[in-house]
Amino acid sequence: MTEPMSSRLDELTLGAISLEDLIDRAALGELAGSFFELFRVPLRVFSQRGLLVEARHEPEIYRYLLTIPAGRERVYQIIEKVKAIEPSLGQDVVFECFTGAAYRVSAIGHDGRIIGKAVLGPYLPASVQQVPKDLLNVPGVDPEKVKELLAAMPRARSSTVAQIAQHLQRNLELILFSGHKALLTSSMHLASVRESYRDLAEKNEKLQEAYDQLKELDRLKSNFLATVSHELRTPLTSIIGFSEMLSEGIGGPLTNDQRDFVTTIHEKGQHLLELISGLLDLSKLESGTMAMHYTEVDIASLVRETVQTITPQARKKEIRCSVTIGEGVVSHIAGDPMRLRQVMLNLLDNALKFTPSGGAISVRLEMGTLGVAPDDIDGAVLFSGRQPAIRIVVADTGLGIDDTEKQKIFDPFYQVDSGSTREVGGTGLGLSIVRRLVDAHRGTVRVQDNQPRGAVFVVELPVGAAGGGFVSDPP
Amino acid sequence: MQIDFVAREITIKLVYYGPALSGKTTNLQALHAVAQEGTAGRLLTLETRDDRTLFFDLLPLTFKARGDVSIRLKVFTVPGQVIHASTRRLVVQGADAVVFVADSQVEETRNNGASFVDLKNNLKAHGVQLKDMPVVIQFNKRDLPNVRSREELAELAAKGKEPVYLAVAMRGEGVVETFLGALQLAWVKLEKEHGLRAKFGIDGNALLAQVAERLGRPGDAEAAVAARVGGIPGQAGSGP
Repeated sequence: MTEPMSSRLDELTLGAISLEDLIDRAALGELAGSFFELFRVPLRVFSQRGLLVEARHEPEIYRYLLTIPAGRERVYQIIEKVKAIEPSLGQDVVFECFTGAAYRVSAIGHDGRIIGKAVLGPYLPASVQQVPKDLLNVPGVDPEKVKELLAAMPRARSSTVAQIAQHLQRNLELILFSGHKALLTSSMHLASVRESYRDLAEKNEKLQEAYDQLKELDRLKSNFLATVSHELRTPLTSIIGFSEMLSEGIGGPLTNDQRDFVTTIHEKGQHLLELISGLLDLSKLESGTMAMHYTEVDIASLVRETVQTITPQARKKEIRCSVTIGEGVVSHIAGDPMRLRQVMLNLLDNALKFTPSGGAISVRLEMGTLGVAPDDIDGAVLFSGRQPAIRIVVADTGLGIDDTEKQKIFDPFYQVDSGSTREVGGTGLGLSIVRRLVDAHRGTVRVQDNQPRGAVFVVELPVGAAGGGFVSDPP
Repeated sequence: MQIDFVAREITIKLVYYGPALSGKTTNLQALHAVAQEGTAGRLLTLETRDDRTLFFDLLPLTFKARGDVSIRLKVFTVPGQVIHASTRRLVVQGADAVVFVADSQVEETRNNGASFVDLKNNLKAHGVQLKDMPVVIQFNKRDLPNVRSREELAELAAKGKEPVYLAVAMRGEGVVETFLGALQLAWVKLEKEHGLRAKFGIDGNALLAQVAERLGRPGDAEAAVAARVGGIPGQAGSGP
């Protein structure tokens, strides 16, 4: 694409350039017209290809001569001779006609090259006092008539015509220079845009390649995670199962130390299993292969039940747990009960981890709305309106979360970097799984500050389409 | 280069390259100012409203060599600003020699280097290796404070193959020297590739002397070309 443009550029800057390329024919015609009006000397401008513009009024004497056969022949000869004159730059040629009139021919140059010529005339030089013999000798002319017509022809001093020619040259030079400049600017503009486009297209192609590679790598990573998680779980099930059997004394009585060791193996095995399950869930959610089973969910019961599940652990840490069901909360929503339970357990587990002894975890269920806030975007009215949603609020009295961390905590493997986080452990996967599961339910999850301390996680889930079911499976 | 055997014309393209505001346009203006009547055409500048070069400047210079051969030198500048990368690539295409105008100020060293790498890449985009391109380097703005010292430049220049000229383009100092240095390198290369002496009977030294004269430096061509620091001995200054 670059090639033709740059060779055009070479043509415009290095090679020969034509008068037609640089000048607007109509505008040149106007210039010639104004010269003729001002000086009453006919003007013709020729390019290398031929006549470009003319501004003239045929003198009466020529009109008369054209009516006589011999006169017509002589006039045509003169025209051909004038046309054939090729002056050099700066050296005008003055041609005298048999009528006594004269033509002044000047070369039009640009960038040191001749690109055309200007012909001024015919005009009657002031020096011509008598009717030339050549004119009287044309067979068939009326001597009295030509004398009268010649006298009526506009006269001009040769020096004046030379000045007019020079003035015209200067005008043309400026016009040609400006024309060349404009032509170069526009060509250059076009060429630059094309070159930039080519450049960008090349870069885009490279980016696309890199993007495709990354996507493939991402897919491989997800596959790898899924496979490895699955392969890891199989032996782990044995470790957990047999250590549990040992600790229950099925394999024979154990000493206290032995029981402690085996219990530790069992607990750590459980922890490892949670971690692997989390990884597996995440990779499935990321690759979109997690199967969701939507049905009607009794959300209030689900919330109560999950809070009950963690209550024994909470008691151990002396943390109070409470559940409040707000007024008018719908009894059922559309969702996958197993996944929603996972969302609740992850949030509660998190709250439990970060709430110190003597603190409290409260869960509140209330009605809310989901959708586009009217001042969020232009033309909000054109988008889907708000829809009723159920809001699950999980508040704790733990460390709370810094404003800068509030978005990042939902990223996989992200952990708020503080001593306490490391103390309480965790995989950094819980909240990212929550985010993805809630997304899969077309809901939202966000975190706020609790007063006076702690964090509040707010999950909003759409109540569902009329009839309570999802029309289509979300990804 | 373009050769027109019918019109007996040789057109040579010289390109002034370098970082933004290093004085490329100023070099052309200085050349235009010293050129004798009938040698230089109008200086064509395609610039933005704030006097920065938008596409390029073009100074046409014409010399008559032996046998009525016209030597037409088209001297270009590229726009130095980083955003005009594609324009630089277009302008540098087909150059017969490059004058790299560097800014002598110490803090501009990095920009000089970046622009030189840009030149190398843009030549490469046209399939031309930098080592095959005649290049002279001009360190401009020698009159400013905090410039790299002459000793330092001379020491480094001695290691490179490019002749280095020192200049104050605003005052016209070193401008003709740089130009003649570049023209000489260009001619040596063109003579080698096209046998101009055999075809047109043009002698490089005579041409250089004529150009020097038309640029207001009669009888000074050799001394002007030799007024450099660095460069491979024998490559420059020994005559084409």
